[in-house]
Amino acid sequence: MSTLTEEPRASAPAARGRRGSDMFVKFNLVIVFFALCAVATLLAPEFLTTRNLANLLQQSSLTGIVAIGMTLVILTSGIDLSVGSTAAFGGMTVALLIDQDMNFLAAIAISLAVGALFGALMGGLSAYLALPAFMTTLAGLTAIRGLTYMLTDGQPAGGDVPQAFQLLGGGFLGYVPVVGLIFIAITVIAALVLRCTTFGEYVYAVGSNREAARLSGLPVRGVVTAVFAISGALSALAGVLLTSRLTIGQPTAFNGLELDAIAAVVLGGTNLFGGRGGVFGTFVAVLLLSVLRNLCNLLGLGSFFQMVVTGVILVVALILNMVIEKRGSRV
Amino acid sequence: MSFDAGTERLTMRGIVKRFPGTVANDGAELSVRAGEVHCLLGENGAGKSTLVKILAGSQRPDEGEILLDGVPLSLSGPQAGLAAGIAVIYQELDLVPDLTVAQNLLLGHAPALGPFVRRAERERRARAALDRVGADFPVTATVRDLPIAAQQLTAIARALTFDAAVIVMDEPSATLGENDLRKVFDVVRSLAAEGRSIIYISHRMDEIMEIGDRATVLRDGRTVGVFDVASTGPDALVSAMIGEARELVASEPRPPVTGEPLLRVDRVRVPGLLDVSGIEVRPGEVVGLAGLGGAGRTTLLKALFGDVRATADVSLDGRPLRVRSPAAAVRAGLALVPESRKEQGLMLGLSVVRNAAVTALGRPPWLLPHRRGSRRAAPVLADLGVRASSPHQPVGKLSGGNQQKVVLAKWIARGGVRVLLLDEPTRGLDVGAKADLYRQVRALADTGVAVLLASSELNELTANADGIWVLYEGRNVGRFDPRTTSETTIAHTVITGAMP
Repeated sequence: MSTLTEEPRASAPAARGRRGSDMFVKFNLVIVFFALCAVATLLAPEFLTTRNLANLLQQSSLTGIVAIGMTLVILTSGIDLSVGSTAAFGGMTVALLIDQDMNFLAAIAISLAVGALFGALMGGLSAYLALPAFMTTLAGLTAIRGLTYMLTDGQPAGGDVPQAFQLLGGGFLGYVPVVGLIFIAITVIAALVLRCTTFGEYVYAVGSNREAARLSGLPVRGVVTAVFAISGALSALAGVLLTSRLTIGQPTAFNGLELDAIAAVVLGGTNLFGGRGGVFGTFVAVLLLSVLRNLCNLLGLGSFFQMVVTGVILVVALILNMVIEKRGSRV
Repeated sequence: MSFDAGTERLTMRGIVKRFPGTVANDGAELSVRAGEVHCLLGENGAGKSTLVKILAGSQRPDEGEILLDGVPLSLSGPQAGLAAGIAVIYQELDLVPDLTVAQNLLLGHAPALGPFVRRAERERRARAALDRVGADFPVTATVRDLPIAAQQLTAIARALTFDAAVIVMDEPSATLGENDLRKVFDVVRSLAAEGRSIIYISHRMDEIMEIGDRATVLRDGRTVGVFDVASTGPDALVSAMIGEARELVASEPRPPVTGEPLLRVDRVRVPGLLDVSGIEVRPGEVVGLAGLGGAGRTTLLKALFGDVRATADVSLDGRPLRVRSPAAAVRAGLALVPESRKEQGLMLGLSVVRNAAVTALGRPPWLLPHRRGSRRAAPVLADLGVRASSPHQPVGKLSGGNQQKVVLAKWIARGGVRVLLLDEPTRGLDVGAKADLYRQVRALADTGVAVLLASSELNELTANADGIWVLYEGRNVGRFDPRTTSETTIAHTVITGAMP
């Protein structure tokens, strides 16, 4: 299908070998994921029960939703450290608004809008004033957490929430948790946006070379502001879903969420300097990290041990990606 | 320091340095005596910078030898150059701006007592070095806060802390004003009087006449002559730089382009950098911009493209053109092929087709960028003859010529380009790729696009442009018709800024 002038092709077996290794590069994470699941099943028979798998999906979904937004930000070579605070703020506002007898759908909409606004503010500062996103969102991390505490002077909020609202965060459709479905839906939508819209193409262009994108006339600042707004809205959504499950808003929730989200994005193969990667990798990485945690729990290994394993896995994944990339560039 | 004036201090013999697609030095010779100020002259691309880099040890020659006081040198890196007593002061002064003068002067060889820096001793030595260049600012000043002339003196003083026998100064006047230059010249003279050898690089003839004892002229990577400055005179030096052989290039004769100008640059001003007026480009016309490095060619193109803040009085097709950003310029029908294709032109990690298509997506429907993009970009890439193993190959893996074609394809695929701005489009390309690129530019011009082409390669301009404006120190000094003017005449204006 190529309309370019073709250079002589490599011989067929070599090409097949390369395609094989391409497939491995592309799906190595999936392979590792299934291998880990297999190991988990062998070591702990309880692993492969619907109840455990449903739990697993429920636990990973909130981090996952945030990690999807983080993926978009990192694809533009940005970083968003404020996601945990924004999520807590979103959870608190929705609880407080429902407590004021607001319709819960309107309350959710307002929470998400405020999250998007926070994101747009931090992203806009970074895009228009050329401040490092690391700093604007670090400032956001502190300030928004402070605002969250100020809402209720540090006390949890709400308590009396409608049944329908509780279903969002705690409900099940058959065996499948609703939050899991939301996580999957958001992943699919984000993947479609990245692949099938001009905006998605601009995200990659900006992340690959911001200067070239700017000199090509792309709306670089708009794109950067938009991805931070999306990240803010998705963070707020995670907060809303947590409030729905707990039936109260917790101002202390989601501490350190940004690190879990960034870890998942990087483990998912998205380049920390932008331009390469995607949400599918993030999706698998979120599940993988949560299977790992689950396995440690089932085996009775403490959370301290889990933290060490997670750290080691991240480093190994980074080294593996580097090695594969080097090999790829030599071909 | 004692010395016999007139003895050979430094000799570079038969230096050859090749880069992919080009030969930067092709038998360059340089011989410098103790106690002289030796000027190194040549047009853009004559091989001066490469020769200096080889002398500094930051690049290794493919052939040739370097002798210092008759002893062969093998320089493995810049540190080895310094250790041998050769200090290079680059135009962009490689000082650390946030450190003090004393820290900078003795950076890397500070007096130490075990792990501790002897601060008092460092400041004493720094003071001594500053005194010798006649500088009166404190050694505790932070370099960033110093005026540019003081920074230049600091850089010279740094060379003295290495007790350098050979000091290379790369266009110090590019950043210095008239008064500051006097001060630097006084220092240069006193250093020469001590028996040090100064290699002075500059484009400006009046400086050369004032400070230089002898001059080596490079052309096309070769040394064409060594001259006694005082007895030779500026005209003969300029002729040596340009060469006599180059006359009218026998390109296909083109009729002059007529019609109303499409782009009219009545005046563009960037304070301190650029003040250009009266440039016009007709549809189908390729107007060249010639000039030395720093003459303002890039700044002019950036100002037109909305990438540099400028007071601009420009019109496109009779209507005033006001662009505040590259995005606005693109909407108005301008396209820029920037100076550095890797850093400014391409997203190296993305595929060929995605690079070529990215400008074509900015209109509704905002969907299916890959399908829409490749529908627009693929025929353009094929027309331009881009050679890639697949349209999905990362653009970073293509050759330079093919990469530059992708930058061009990006604008053709977008469509609606009325003015094409090209900044050094053939840098680093081999001869075939250059010819290919100019063919594409000409084809684009033939569709009615107005082209502004900035290049350091005068022979490319005379062969491909319908008219050539020469820029000198931020002003456009004159327009030449390459059909009736010899390259030598234009080169003379490029170097001196004076019209024939």
